[in-house]
Amino acid sequence: MIPRKRYGSKNTDQGVYLGLSKTQVLSPATAISSSSDSTPLPTPVALVPSPPDTMSCRDRTQEFQSACKSLQSRQNGIQTSKPALHAARQCSEFTLMARRIGKDLSNTFAKLEKLTILAKRKSLFDDKAVEIEELTYIIKQDINSLNKQIAQLQDFVRAKGSQSGRHLQTHSNTIVVSLQSKLASMSNDFKSVLEVRTENLKQQRNRREQFSRAPVSALPLAPNNLGGGPIILGAESRASRDVAIDMMDPRTSQQLQLIDEQDSYIQSRADTMQNIESTIVELGSIFQQLAHMVKEQEETIQRIDENVLGAQLDVEAAHSEILKYFQSVTSNRWLMVKIFLILIVFFIIFVVFLA
Amino acid sequence: MKLYSLSVLYKGDPKAVLLKAAYDVSSFSFFQRSSVQEFMTFTSQLIVERSGKGSRASVKEQEYLCHVYVRSDSLAGVVIADSEYPSRVAFTLLEKVLDEFSKQVDRIDWPVGSPATIQYTGLDDHLSKYQNPREADPMSKVQAELDETKIILHNTMESLLERGEKLDDLVSKSEVLGTQSKAFYKTARKQNSCC
Repeated sequence: MIPRKRYGSKNTDQGVYLGLSKTQVLSPATAISSSSDSTPLPTPVALVPSPPDTMSCRDRTQEFQSACKSLQSRQNGIQTSKPALHAARQCSEFTLMARRIGKDLSNTFAKLEKLTILAKRKSLFDDKAVEIEELTYIIKQDINSLNKQIAQLQDFVRAKGSQSGRHLQTHSNTIVVSLQSKLASMSNDFKSVLEVRTENLKQQRNRREQFSRAPVSALPLAPNNLGGGPIILGAESRASRDVAIDMMDPRTSQQLQLIDEQDSYIQSRADTMQNIESTIVELGSIFQQLAHMVKEQEETIQRIDENVLGAQLDVEAAHSEILKYFQSVTSNRWLMVKIFLILIVFFIIFVVFLA
Repeated sequence: MKLYSLSVLYKGDPKAVLLKAAYDVSSFSFFQRSSVQEFMTFTSQLIVERSGKGSRASVKEQEYLCHVYVRSDSLAGVVIADSEYPSRVAFTLLEKVLDEFSKQVDRIDWPVGSPATIQYTGLDDHLSKYQNPREADPMSKVQAELDETKIILHNTMESLLERGEKLDDLVSKSEVLGTQSKAFYKTARKQNSCC
């Protein structure tokens, strides 16, 4: 973090550094002074001045400190001086940390501002892709480390919180919260800048495609015109082609190649993703077809069901008919047996009495 | 498809420093292995020295391809693979390895490190894992799974078509059954009513 920091601040010194840093460095200080309004007595050293080069107003902290000290000694005498000293040392440590974070924050803000200026540039030929990438990377790292530092600060406050007074605690909490909100707003800014950058890249690609495709479409036209049509038209088209080629100066084409090299990996990723997407779409259509076919087969199944049901009804009806017939047949048999019996009886009587 | 080496380097100002490397030289004969390994180390260093910060590149050396990725914080990774190995997977691997490395190894150790002093052991795992890009790379994995699903679905379609034919058979058979049962019923009734 430390070497990066140096590099970054050096880098941004000549740019927008001054304009922004003033407000940014001031803000933790203002937070400190505003929150210290409620706790003037136990935290005299919390008002350690911000670096003199960034202060725009007069530094009267020393006077205030001396006034505080005299007030304190008048009120409490000597007995309270020892714990107060201890608390003051802790407090100064805390303030140092807070101030360092504030400084880092302002530095990062300056870098972010530079990145914004770079990213908002719309020109096609003056595109500093490498610089932007590097700045993005640096800012990302800065934000990470700032996050870590603030967490450390919070831990520190929590560790010391039980010993020190209530006012001191609320004061340090306020500082931490204000630092955190600064960081959050900065990361939001960073995000929006990145969005702008991607949008710009998209536009640039569109434009580049327009210019680099133009000559290809003009080429087949030119010979046709030269062959039959008026020569002026051919010359005209050639002129337009020349213009189109002029746009593709060596510088531009070199840049194109460079960007293409950088993009090839991303391109291949995008291609793979597209492949996957198309496969998924295909799968979706296959599923739809499946559903359709299953739906169609439902009809045939219903027909089978109806047929089987009808057959069952028919078979049952036929069964009952046959049963009926059987019953009638069996009842007929008894009748025949009876008739035969009677006939035999008559026959026997006839044989016995008449023979 | 094979990976031969995976190395992490630091791109110093004049020279690149090898921080950690893993090799898979099992496909070479036993006597060549050490020289091959040395050659790969040398090639990696050379490539890193010649490629700029924040760039990705693929260098062809005979039938091998060296994929190099130099991050803008001077940390670089080189993968030596054969020419069949998909470059996208190689770059994904590099990005992953460099991320891991920068998390585990402190930034201060980068310019002065050497393979003996750096405590980072993930390279061999990654190397063996990425030998099969279909398994290791999530995108190819998803792609392979999708392809599998597609094949399964095609099979399902075929079996569904077969089922449709069988259902048609069933329909015709049940129709025959229906008419026959109707005839049966009629004859039975005739039997009953005649006498």
